[in-house]
Amino acid sequence: MTLDWRLRISLIAGLIVVAAFIVLPAIQAILLSFEGTDSFVVPATWVGLANFERVLVMPEFWRDLGTGLTYAIVTVCLQLVLGTIFALILNVPLKGQALFRGVAILPYVVPTVVVAISFQWMLDGNIGLITQIVRNLGLGRLIWSDDPWIALMTVTLISVWMWTPFVTTCVLAGLQTIPDNLYAAARVDGAGPWSRFWHVTFPGLRSVLIVVIIMRGIWMFNKFDIIWLMTRGGPLGATEHLPILSYSMAFRQYDIGGGAAVATLSFLILSAFVALFIHLFPLQEK
Amino acid sequence: MTADPFKKALLRVLQYAMAIGLMVYSGFPIYYMMVSSVRPPQEFLKTNALIPTKISWDFYRTLTSRTDFVQQFMNSFIVAFGTVAITIVVSIVIAYIVARYKVRGKTIIVGLMLYAYMFPPLFLAIPLVSIFAQLGLTDTLVSVIVAHVTISLPLGVWFLWGFFKAMPFELEEAAMVDGCTRAAAFLRVVLPLSLPGIITVGTFSFLLSWSDYTFAVVLLSSDSVKTIPLGLASLLGTYDFRWGEVMAGATLVALPLFLLFTLFSRYFIAGMAAGALKG
Repeated sequence: MTLDWRLRISLIAGLIVVAAFIVLPAIQAILLSFEGTDSFVVPATWVGLANFERVLVMPEFWRDLGTGLTYAIVTVCLQLVLGTIFALILNVPLKGQALFRGVAILPYVVPTVVVAISFQWMLDGNIGLITQIVRNLGLGRLIWSDDPWIALMTVTLISVWMWTPFVTTCVLAGLQTIPDNLYAAARVDGAGPWSRFWHVTFPGLRSVLIVVIIMRGIWMFNKFDIIWLMTRGGPLGATEHLPILSYSMAFRQYDIGGGAAVATLSFLILSAFVALFIHLFPLQEK
Repeated sequence: MTADPFKKALLRVLQYAMAIGLMVYSGFPIYYMMVSSVRPPQEFLKTNALIPTKISWDFYRTLTSRTDFVQQFMNSFIVAFGTVAITIVVSIVIAYIVARYKVRGKTIIVGLMLYAYMFPPLFLAIPLVSIFAQLGLTDTLVSVIVAHVTISLPLGVWFLWGFFKAMPFELEEAAMVDGCTRAAAFLRVVLPLSLPGIITVGTFSFLLSWSDYTFAVVLLSSDSVKTIPLGLASLLGTYDFRWGEVMAGATLVALPLFLLFTLFSRYFIAGMAAGALKG
């Protein structure tokens, strides 16, 4: 069908909203990364590539890129493994399955702030539940936020707890698309549970898993709030990644051009990784 | 296959044990937050009991009477409803027209939506603060609504586009043959049929907006305009806060989403799964 004038106007109105809300900020972000300013109100001056040159020689930039990649890769891998296991558990027909599934997805629905605060409460240095359990086990006093490794591990595990349900749900939906007769055929051929998983279930989930890896990878690389709320990037920058660097530069040190340059670079790096991944694992099998 | 009844029973027990273990793993932190929030203040520092013996609403009372919590709760509702309304209307218009008609630059529109999906939050937050500062709109709820729409709109258009594409075109044609105008066919046939998709987009936009901390923290500074996640986070920063009140606040922030999830879990799960299954 062709467009009449009413539809044309509606589409144009919709696209104007998209342009104003999405395209304009993106262009402004890139413009800001070429400008030098320490205030959001005063007009900025054009500095060319100076912000990028400055950011790229900062040791923090490379350290934070490494931390961010580690965090993203580890959290995505753990989510994939746990999410697949959880989906297999929830796929078994049991009484109360709806309840099991509902509660298993619940962490995904809890606001990040609530998650951060609840875990901080359980990890409280004096009366936190986990702190007391660790103490009662004779492992001494746990002050999670003082040790770089424990802090990074803590935010990693909490992120995994929170976002695994996304993988669980997608894999659970993917499991329903695998025809039962494939399992029956594998049984006839004498395949045990492991062999059925590797030769029927796993290939059947291939396309779901590829999309889940891309989406979770994008989100975990970009995640800002959970780490910021838990550690502010500390201790000693151990949990600082590019989103936190970008935030601190723009909103703490008022180096707005620098913060925008970090955000732009991190977007470019992410795009490169996504493109590489899609090239290596095409969605449609050849 | 062995049909040994003992082995079968053992397998059954194991399956239930794993399902219950998963439920404890996922539910415990939420349960513990709620239990802590209803503990009587005088017992708070003495016990870590997992099953409350006495329930007290004292923390809720101090929280609502001594902070801007109620006001911030309302702010969050205004922002979330604004975000949901704009997202639904705009994404229906764009997704429907792009899915049904020959539009030049269709791939650019759809591609842009996917690309916007990858924008790091700070890549949007920094320029939005700069734009709103120039417009004199920082520290207003409107600025937060706009910021939330920048992330919910790509999701909405992308999801509804897939939804409209899958809907058979014959339905509208049949309605139009029966004498409906194109607008009437859209309102009476397409819209009711796409209600599940619209509910999914609405639920996700609400979740996104209600939970957002990142955009709120860069755009809002006054206590009276803060949204609830921001208000809750700043409770932690004050020197005289107590965990009990904070847990009461956390429970109140999470409750609307639990309610929404219970009501719409079908659409919710469909939305999550569709995102991955359709690509």
